[in-house]
Amino acid sequence: MKIWIVLLVALVAAVIVAACAGHDWASPADLVRAVSGDQAMRSRLLFEWRMPRVLAAALVGALLGLGGAMFQGVFRNPLAEPYLLGSAGGAGLGAAIALLVPLGAPQSIMLPLLAFVGAWGSTVVVIAVSRVAGAVDTAGMLLAGVAVAALLTALRSFLILALSDETMNLQVVLSWILGGVQTPTWGGLGLLALVSLACLGLTMLFARGLDVLGLGEAMASTFGVNVKRFIGLAVLAGSVVVAAAVAFGGLVAFVGLASPHIARWLIGSRHKPLLPASALIGAIVVTLADAIARSALPPAEIPLGLVTAIAGAPFFIVLLARRLRA
Amino acid sequence: MRRFGRLVLLTALALGGDAAAEPIVVRDAFERTVVLPTPPQRIVTIFASNVEMVAALGLSDRIVGIEAYTRYPPEVLSKPLVGGRLGFSVDRVVEQRPDLVVVTPARQAAHQLVDPMERLGIPVMVLLQRDVAEVLANIRLLGRAAGVPQQGEAVASGLETRIAAVTRRVAGLERPRVIMITGRLGNGLLLVTRPKTYTGDAMVLAGARFGLESAIAQVSPEAILNADPDILLFAGNQRDLDELVARPGWRDLRAVKGKRAFAVSRSELLIPGPRTIDGIEHLAAIFHPEKAAR
Repeated sequence: MKIWIVLLVALVAAVIVAACAGHDWASPADLVRAVSGDQAMRSRLLFEWRMPRVLAAALVGALLGLGGAMFQGVFRNPLAEPYLLGSAGGAGLGAAIALLVPLGAPQSIMLPLLAFVGAWGSTVVVIAVSRVAGAVDTAGMLLAGVAVAALLTALRSFLILALSDETMNLQVVLSWILGGVQTPTWGGLGLLALVSLACLGLTMLFARGLDVLGLGEAMASTFGVNVKRFIGLAVLAGSVVVAAAVAFGGLVAFVGLASPHIARWLIGSRHKPLLPASALIGAIVVTLADAIARSALPPAEIPLGLVTAIAGAPFFIVLLARRLRA
Repeated sequence: MRRFGRLVLLTALALGGDAAAEPIVVRDAFERTVVLPTPPQRIVTIFASNVEMVAALGLSDRIVGIEAYTRYPPEVLSKPLVGGRLGFSVDRVVEQRPDLVVVTPARQAAHQLVDPMERLGIPVMVLLQRDVAEVLANIRLLGRAAGVPQQGEAVASGLETRIAAVTRRVAGLERPRVIMITGRLGNGLLLVTRPKTYTGDAMVLAGARFGLESAIAQVSPEAILNADPDILLFAGNQRDLDELVARPGWRDLRAVKGKRAFAVSRSELLIPGPRTIDGIEHLAAIFHPEKAAR
C-alpha cells in the first residue's frame, strides 16, 4: 500500500514540476491563477497549451509502461519492449505519410490516426505472417517482427528521401520519429484519458494469464490456457496500447523497456499490481523527461525520445547494478 | 490646450488613414482566413525568407522575433530568438507579445506554432514560397496584412520589372544546359536544383535549361558526370567547388574544362525572397555574359 502512495505522490509532484517548467518558468501560484480562469496571455498559455501537454505526456508514459509490461509478460524476455513487433516501423511510415503527403485532412487528425494505424497494423501483419508461416509462438513472431520492421522502415526512408526537398522535410519526420508529445486540446486530452483507462482495463484482463504463462508454456497448458491463442490475443491487446501511445507521443525510446523492470523491483512480478505500477512509473518518467525536453535548451525543444534515452539509460544502469549486487 | 489639440490630432491620425477602421482579412497558403483587427505592429517572422520580405516592405522595426538561422538584414539580427534548428518555442513567441506570427511549413514551424497561436488567439499566417511567383504574391500579401498595401505593390512590381528586363535580355538566346549543386550529403550523393522550385525558376528565368531533370533531389555524382552540363553551378563557396571539381572524372567535365563552373550565392538562391531577384540577375550574367553589360 505504501508503495502506491509513494508512486501517486511522485506522479503528482512530477506533473506540478513539469507544468512549471518551460522556456518561461512559471510558479505554482501562476498555475493556480491560470486554472482559475485568468485571461492574461501568460495564464492562457499555461492553461491552453502547457497543462494539456503535461498531462498528455503523463498518459503517453503510462501507456508505454503498460505496453512494455504486456510485451515483457508475453515474451518472458527482459529485453522485450513495446516496439518489438514492428510497431515503430509502421508508426514511422504512417507519420511520414501524414507529414509529407498532402492528404486534404488536417495534420492534427491525420498524424495520430496514421501513426496509430501504422503501429497497430504492422503488429497485425506480424501475427498474420507468423500464422501463415505456421509459427504463432514467440520466436516465430519475433522473427516475423524483425522482417516486417525492416520492410516498413525501408519504405519510410524511401518516402522521406523521395518527398523531401530544400525545405528539409526530412527533419520533420526525423524529429517525429525521435518522439515528442503532441499537445492535445482539453477535449483531445479527455479522449486520451479515456483511451488510457480502457487500455488499463483491457490489459488487466490478461493479468492472470500472464502470471500463468510466466511458469512456462507447458505449465500454462496444464492450467487450461490455450497458449497460442492467448499469446496472439495478448500481443494484439498490447499493440493497441502501444499504438495509442505512439499516436499521441511519437516514438519515445526506452520508457517501455525500463518502466516494467523498475515496477518489478518495487512490487514483484505478479501482473495484477505490476501492470498499473508500470503505467505509473512510465507516467512519472515521461512527465519529467518531457519537462526537460521543453525547458533545457531554449528556444529549442529536444526530441523527447532523446531525453528519455540519454537521461533514462544511465539511471537504469545504476538501478540495474544495485539490483544485481543486492 | 495646445497639448490637448496635439493629442486630438495624433488620435485622429492614428484612427484615420487607410486601415485602422476595419479589420484586415487575408487568406494564407493553407487557405486559412487570418483576421488582423489593426495593422500588426509586433511581428514574429519565422525563417529568413519571411524576415526578408517583411524587411523589404520597410517594416524591419516591427519585427520582434526571429529564428536562429536568420542572417539578413543586419538590423533584425539583434531581435529575440524564438527558435532554431531544434524547433520553435511557443513560450518565447508568446513572450514577445506579437500581434502577427508569419511562418512557413518547414522544419516543423507550422506544425509547432499554428495550433498554439490559434488557440491563444494570436493571428498566424502561413506562407509558402515554392516558386518566384509565390514570392511576389507573398510580398503583396504581407503588404496587405501589415496595412501597407501600396508598399507591397511597389516592392513586388519593382521586382517584376527587374525580372522582365532579364527575360527580355535572354529571350531568343541559346539556353545553356545547367546543373546547380545545392548541397552534398554524407553518403557522397549531391543535391541538385529541380524544376518547379524557386531556385529552378531562377535558373530558367535567367536563360538556362536543366542539364539534369531528377524526380528526387539527391543524385549520384555519376549522374552529373554523365549529363555533362554546359555550365556547373555550386551554391556555396569557391573552395568547396574547387575541391569538388578537382576529383577524378569531374576535371573532364565540359563545364570544368571550359572554365564554366561557378560558385553562386546561397543567400540569393536558397532563400526565397527579394534577394532571389538579385540571384536571377547574377545567374543571367553567368549564363549569357555577352548580354550582361546592361
